[in-house]
Amino acid sequence: MIKILFFGPVVDRVQTCEMQFEYTPGMTLHDVMAHIGAQHPSVFGIVSFIAVNQNQVHDRQMALQDNDEIAFMAKFSGG
Amino acid sequence: MSKSETRSPVRIQQEDFSQDEEVMALKAASQRIGGIATFLGCARDFSEGRSVSEISFEAYGSMALAEMNKLREEAMSKFGLLEARIVHRVTTVHAGDNIVFIAAGAEHRGPAFEGCRWMIDELKQRVPIWKKEITPEGEAWVTQHP
Repeated sequence: MIKILFFGPVVDRVQTCEMQFEYTPGMTLHDVMAHIGAQHPSVFGIVSFIAVNQNQVHDRQMALQDNDEIAFMAKFSGG
Repeated sequence: MSKSETRSPVRIQQEDFSQDEEVMALKAASQRIGGIATFLGCARDFSEGRSVSEISFEAYGSMALAEMNKLREEAMSKFGLLEARIVHRVTTVHAGDNIVFIAAGAEHRGPAFEGCRWMIDELKQRVPIWKKEITPEGEAWVTQHP
């Protein structure tokens, strides 16, 4: 299972803070994004950071592993 | 030993913090500290031309804490700090309430000032925390880094 987390203003776009996807071998970050984007076309317009297992990633072709945790995050505004 | 001396130097918490206790804990780390610079971020009642009644914070807790620990270690190495502390509240605050506290202790004031400034600037860029301003007209996520 792949766990998807949304934070901050991204939650408003998808109307949830968490999703789960069935893991299939060979699945990439791009595959997950395409699936979410098809359901919520506006979501990635405000995503500035993507993390897999709490590490920021830039390569959308990154192969996922079962039990990975992906976070889609808008620009940070702490402090 | 005071309570603050046993608390982690890097924390995310709902409750308020005591600047005095944080500084005391920082000083307890080394008697070689000769200069301490601190930054206190607090809630304003006005932003972008609007009154702000509350600010609500949200964090990707585990990643935020890991990133805060990383930037503390980087600051200590980069500026030769003897100790540093970072505390960020994640809750709903009102005007005047404390939000974030950063302290940098060094042998002299220069590295302390520079390290403290660097840590708050980096925190705003790197740590997954978001704030939402609640105004009489509605709610709005903050997406800028002033």
